[in-house]
Amino acid sequence: MRFFFLSLLLSMSSLSLFAADQPYKAVATVGMVADIVRAVAGEHAEVENLIGEGIDPHLYKPTRNDVVALQKADIIFYNGLMLEGKMGDVLVRVARRGKPVYAVTELLLEQGGYVMSDEEDHHDPHVWMDVQGWMKAVAVVRDALVEFDAEHAADYKQNAESYLKRLTDLDAYAKKVMATIPEGQRVLVTAHDAFGYLGRAYGLEVKGIQGLSTESEAGLKDIENLVRFLVKNKIPSVFVETSVSDKNVRALVEGAKAQGHPLKIGGELFSDAMGEAGSYEGTYIGMIDHNVTTIALALGGEAPKTGFQGKLSGETHGH
Amino acid sequence: MIWLLDDTWIVITGALCAVACALPGCFMVLRKMSMMGDAISHAVLPGLAIGYLVAESRDALPMLLGAALVGVLTALFTQWVGQFGNVDRGAAMGIVFTTLFALGLVLIERAADHENIDLDPSCVLYGALEMAPLDLMTLGAWEIPRAALWLAVVLLLNLLIILLLYKEFNLSSFDPSLASTLGINATFMHYLLMSMVAVTTVASFEAVGSIIVIAMLIVPGATAYLLTQRLWVMLLLSALFGILASALGHVVAITVPTWFGFDSTSSSGMMATIAGLLFLLVWLFNPREGVWVPRRVNKTES
Repeated sequence: MRFFFLSLLLSMSSLSLFAADQPYKAVATVGMVADIVRAVAGEHAEVENLIGEGIDPHLYKPTRNDVVALQKADIIFYNGLMLEGKMGDVLVRVARRGKPVYAVTELLLEQGGYVMSDEEDHHDPHVWMDVQGWMKAVAVVRDALVEFDAEHAADYKQNAESYLKRLTDLDAYAKKVMATIPEGQRVLVTAHDAFGYLGRAYGLEVKGIQGLSTESEAGLKDIENLVRFLVKNKIPSVFVETSVSDKNVRALVEGAKAQGHPLKIGGELFSDAMGEAGSYEGTYIGMIDHNVTTIALALGGEAPKTGFQGKLSGETHGH
Repeated sequence: MIWLLDDTWIVITGALCAVACALPGCFMVLRKMSMMGDAISHAVLPGLAIGYLVAESRDALPMLLGAALVGVLTALFTQWVGQFGNVDRGAAMGIVFTTLFALGLVLIERAADHENIDLDPSCVLYGALEMAPLDLMTLGAWEIPRAALWLAVVLLLNLLIILLLYKEFNLSSFDPSLASTLGINATFMHYLLMSMVAVTTVASFEAVGSIIVIAMLIVPGATAYLLTQRLWVMLLLSALFGILASALGHVVAITVPTWFGFDSTSSSGMMATIAGLLFLLVWLFNPREGVWVPRRVNKTES
């Protein structure tokens, strides 16, 4: 509903302001992708984000209104690499029927050299966790929009340029605060394997209790092994995620306590969904700012509590 | 409310699924095996995993075949456990599907741990009814949703089998011993029915997701059973209830939440809910055995 009002408001304002140059409709699945499209398309597109805060895109089931939005969309962006589950398959078929559909991370995969894959040809979709990776995604969206609407190519290039500048600052901030974490404690333990890119970019060892998927059940033995690892290396904190159940993470804390190691939950991280729409954490920059600040502080590093722009509220509004 | 072509397709696809499931579902209700659909929805897990391991890819087809195979096996094993283990059918189903589900979990755990892949049924097998209008196929001059076409084929197959073997189904459902004396192979009929249910279930899971399938296998048949004891009337009524639940369910899903300021809710979930409400209404008010209807004389106390 919030999106409905927002888009209504947007369409009303844009109708009066740009009556001659009606915006086209762009639809994006996850908020991180929608944010890029909003930033790059600017006034030329009305952007709708289907999968909202706190929702796991692996398991997302579209409603009728989502389907109507996709039907009416002039251009569709999604993350790809199986992040959106079955919905991705359907979007591939929508693309075959001639609508411009872009799977942002799959286009990155085609460029080669960046996407993390294993020898079995399975790829990690959580590219946004590394700001430099997401900057490549910005370039993909920019090129897509230039291809789609060449008339405003100059605007898209300019918008992308200024957004990339902000992301460069964010990346520098992330690098700086992550480097303050003491050497032996650079270990990030979370509910599922969504932080591989973050680990690679900022020098953290990453361990997820569940695999890539959010529904495979963690075995008792996996939990035991992790507890032993945490106790042995005296890791101070583990993390929960806003879009994944915290049950397994709590099991780790209990297990470590039983062995006399005061393990804390270092905070709630945004993994597959951003924060509340309209808040700072509901933007890509706010999401990453929140994550790196929370991680650095909880693992014994130094970072300003209010993040790199002084905008963090310290709340996650997650579920 | 604005009604779009998409809405028509969602209702048609839902109705096709409802009827395709309700027809074999009637027999499941008569044989007290209604939970078969639910059991199969859990039991397909090892089928997916094996389909994946054999084909070494995440293509839908091998996993779908694996799932259908395990679906039929669930029916077979249930029959065997019931027959040789001397337990009732409900318990037999419980034993079989939990064992298969657990096996599936173990296999998937292996796949997830060692190959880093994502094999949840909700991710690789279960479709979504609402997605149907996006996934169109060209058939002559028409563009129809792939799911609708798929379900129409399943429905026609089920209808054909039931019509061809109507007498046999009828007798073996209501009076198995009489059926045997008349030379009808009751065991064969049973396995045929179970295979129909397994294939229908898995095919519908892929097209429209799990909840509507499980509901439509049970509820329309059970509702119809409250109103009649004639098989053909029951089949007809169950189909009607299925269609009604689909149409009403979608309308409610896209209108009622908006009255309270929410976005449209899940159509398949609402269709299943409406099917349940229809059952409640019929149970309360049906002229034969209704709770709030004056009883007939044959219900006198002894």
